[in-house]
Amino acid sequence: MNTTPIVDFLNRVTSALGITASVNVEETADGPRFNLTGEEAELLVRHRGEPLKALQHIVDSSYGRSLEGDKRVFVDALEYRKGKDIELRNMAKFLAEKAKQSGTDQQLGPLNPYERRIVHLAVAEIPGVSTESVGDAFSKTVLISLQK
Amino acid sequence: MSSETGVRAVVEVLAKALADRPDDVRVTESQHKQVTLIELFVSPQDIAKLIGRQGRTAAALRTLASTAGEREGKQVTLEIRESR
Repeated sequence: MNTTPIVDFLNRVTSALGITASVNVEETADGPRFNLTGEEAELLVRHRGEPLKALQHIVDSSYGRSLEGDKRVFVDALEYRKGKDIELRNMAKFLAEKAKQSGTDQQLGPLNPYERRIVHLAVAEIPGVSTESVGDAFSKTVLISLQK
Repeated sequence: MSSETGVRAVVEVLAKALADRPDDVRVTESQHKQVTLIELFVSPQDIAKLIGRQGRTAAALRTLASTAGEREGKQVTLEIRESR
């Protein structure tokens, strides 16, 4: 995929915000990852990273369709979301082990679709447990239970 | 592309990326007591895209408009309107 339009877009956003930041691109199997670096990129990770989530949504709707297959664009700043995703993955695995040992269902959430995907994929690596999303809102809770 | 800085500029960059008719995007900024009103005018064809499912794109635009306002100590309100 040609990442130049997205890099240009992110540069226009940071310059309009009046912050000095550079965009690093990393190609992964899941698609390109864009990480904004520079001290002032901190502006985007305030309020629990809400501005970053908003930026991700806008990049998805503007450029998401130019991706092939199940690849997705990932927008990050100061590797904030990368760290959060690792935490979430570890938490999912911890709860999966707990469900396995105790036999009782474990809950995680509410989580947005992206976060739920991380949980489903992480738990799928552990045999004997299954996951299910419950709820009917945009954010749902993931139930991790012992497979019968 | 202009190298302008501020809430208006941020909303313009985002809206132009989202719109199918970026040339029809127009953004105005006005001050009403302590609130900064940003009006985003887009082509009638682009309204749905700019609002998004469940208003999620509009919410994202408002979040980033507030972020830009935070830099300048402004409290921002964003209205999305049809241009004609």
